[in-house]
Amino acid sequence: MRPRVIALIAVMALVLAACTGDVAGTTTSAAPEEEPTTTAAAEPTTTAATEETTTSAAAEEESPLAEFGEDPAAADPALVEKALGPVEASDQASWDIVLASIARASQDLDQATIDKAMECWGAQECDTGSGGELVMGYADGGGNQVNVWRSVSHMEAVLQALSYPEIGRIVSTAADFAGAETEMANIRFLIQAGVDFIVGYPDGGAGVAPAVAEAEAAGIRYVPFSAGWVGLPDQEGALIPGEDYLAVVGEDLCALGDSFAEVLNTGAAGGNVALLGGTPGNALSLGWQRCTVGSLGADTTLVNPPADENSTTGDTNWFPPAIPDVFRGLLTANPEINGYAYEYADGIWYGLPVFEELGIPVENLTLALRTDEQNLFCDWAQRAEPTYNIFYTAGGNFQSRTGVTAAMLAIAGADVPAEIVVPHVMRQVTEADCNPDRPNEAVSGTSLVPDDVLSLMFAG
Amino acid sequence: MSERRGTSSAVTSFVVASRYLPVYLALLVLAVVAAIWAPQTLGSVVLNAIAPYGALLAITALGQMLVIMTGGIDLSVPGTFTLAAMIMVGVTDGSDDRIGVALLAAIGVAALIGLVNGILIGGLKLNALIVTLAVGQVVIGLVNRYGRTFPVQSQVPPGLSEWTSNKILGVSPVFWAGVALTFVLIVAFRYTAAGRRFQVVGANPVASRVVGVRVNLNQIAAYVVAAVFYALAGVALAGLLRSPGPTIGMAYLLGPIAAVVIGGASLSGGLASPLSTFAAAFFLTGLNQMMRSMGLPTSAQFVVFGLVIIGGMLISGDRIIKGVEQVLRDRSKPGPRGRGALVAEGGDP
Repeated sequence: MRPRVIALIAVMALVLAACTGDVAGTTTSAAPEEEPTTTAAAEPTTTAATEETTTSAAAEEESPLAEFGEDPAAADPALVEKALGPVEASDQASWDIVLASIARASQDLDQATIDKAMECWGAQECDTGSGGELVMGYADGGGNQVNVWRSVSHMEAVLQALSYPEIGRIVSTAADFAGAETEMANIRFLIQAGVDFIVGYPDGGAGVAPAVAEAEAAGIRYVPFSAGWVGLPDQEGALIPGEDYLAVVGEDLCALGDSFAEVLNTGAAGGNVALLGGTPGNALSLGWQRCTVGSLGADTTLVNPPADENSTTGDTNWFPPAIPDVFRGLLTANPEINGYAYEYADGIWYGLPVFEELGIPVENLTLALRTDEQNLFCDWAQRAEPTYNIFYTAGGNFQSRTGVTAAMLAIAGADVPAEIVVPHVMRQVTEADCNPDRPNEAVSGTSLVPDDVLSLMFAG
Repeated sequence: MSERRGTSSAVTSFVVASRYLPVYLALLVLAVVAAIWAPQTLGSVVLNAIAPYGALLAITALGQMLVIMTGGIDLSVPGTFTLAAMIMVGVTDGSDDRIGVALLAAIGVAALIGLVNGILIGGLKLNALIVTLAVGQVVIGLVNRYGRTFPVQSQVPPGLSEWTSNKILGVSPVFWAGVALTFVLIVAFRYTAAGRRFQVVGANPVASRVVGVRVNLNQIAAYVVAAVFYALAGVALAGLLRSPGPTIGMAYLLGPIAAVVIGGASLSGGLASPLSTFAAAFFLTGLNQMMRSMGLPTSAQFVVFGLVIIGGMLISGDRIIKGVEQVLRDRSKPGPRGRGALVAEGGDP
């Protein structure tokens, strides 16, 4: 009987020991590391998870893009200011995408990324090395060799693409201003190359519509940037963003035109003004010129009104050899022009020698511009003429980044607005806007390409 | 009969002498129109301002004229023009010290391009239009490749841009360079055996061959010299613009051909006048300037420009002389009415 009692006492002791944790020492030997890790991590993990959930919930409240891997809130305010100036946000859907794209514009790139960016920028095709399955197409009506603005915009798109591990390949084309037929051939080449989406600037406007329609029919999303509408909606043959192609990234062109008019109404009040544009009838120039014409003050005389509301005026084709001719024509007929509005600051730089040719001093002059190439601003600083003032919005190179992000969002299943409005604000050029240390004097001050990359791009 | 022949000969001589007259009449009409609708374009300041651009077109057109005189055509102008401009950027690297080397390189490369054109057309008798188009494409490809070796929108050395913006007797040296080249060609055609042989080759290659003129060599030389002219114009425009791009020569594809045709040359080859070509280049530049000053929409400018070129084609070369001779022959035939009347009535000529 005694042994049974002893055994019973022993079992109870064991049960008691098990309940008090003494047995843990035995169990620990089976899982000596797991339990401390789990235990140690348990509380922080739970806490972190709670915080993450809270942040995520907050982000989701602010932006529906978080579930698609974008974080508009992470955009560095200093970079937003650099790219756009002190703007007010555009509509929430647009603004979120703009911010999400700037959030990816890292200024602290490692050497491997810089090397890869240079490779992809300089080659027609490159493997990003990420192993991603998506292929980005880039279709420019101009190209790296045409001018600095095109060059930098391309690099912005490449850098943005490299921030997405899902993108494994980049295929780039450039039409070098050869016209809509070449642009369409390039888009068709991209379709054949198996790209998943195309970002670019269609210089041909509605002229490239057939190829864009073919791309979209093939399931390839097309996103032009810099207000590169594939024709304005009321232009013949135009495609409609949101219906015929994914979206267009750019400023509200009418608001931009109104801003230009406001500058001219103030700076050239009671004087003569002229409007300059790019290729005849292009959507960008037509969009802002229509509204500038309508918003000019009664005491301001437009010396080169467009033939009708579907025509652009002051067509320069954005083609440097033609720009002096345009200035000469305007200044010959009207030596006293007090203001110009133009979307291309660099073009003004090409036109300024005509003033000297004709013996017209560069004074009592107000310029309302969109881009911000440094060469013009440094020329302005050098002239030190108090009656010569320049106002600008932003170069908008970074808009190609927004195009990439918009396409990636669409591929991920997000709703993307048909018009991704990039806000703008007019700023007056000061001496601080001329930075002679920029890697290239024709680079926009508002570009988000890091200087070390720009230095490599323009090192020669 | 001999009296009739004498009359015909006199009229023919007059028409031959005046084959280049239309361009001067066109200049006169342009001046009158400008005086009425855009008088400011006739001011000396404006004329001085457009003078270098007119001279650039003239220099390019003189090159094209040499080719057209041999019965050929050169569509490689934009490529050669652009490559020369880009060489001034790439070779100099912004340094005035290297302007001479760059200029020699630009001329040398252009001459090589002209030599390739010349051998393929003059030597191998390939079609000029296709060959120069193809060579032009190759050159544009090379320009794009070469353009990657230095930063886009790089500038020419300040010495070059200062030279083009300087004034000699109140006008850009580019204008005087155009005048000098025109004068050289006039002298060469009138007073040198080589120049006269060259003109004969263009007028009648078969007869030239019979009398021992080396037709092929002359044709090759035409393309080489023409390419050098394009290069000089490209270099000058690079100086005027300060920052040439890979598209700088695009505007010089059709303009020079139009100037040559309006200047009185026939696209089928034969005689041409350097002075008339020079005048035609200034006519086109002045027309362009006037249309811009008048604020014509771009579409209207294209229409007017196109119509002027068609007009030039209609009165170009020996069209007038052939027409007049035809009329005279018809009238000299026996019978109350000439050949034309019979044909018009459906009768047997």
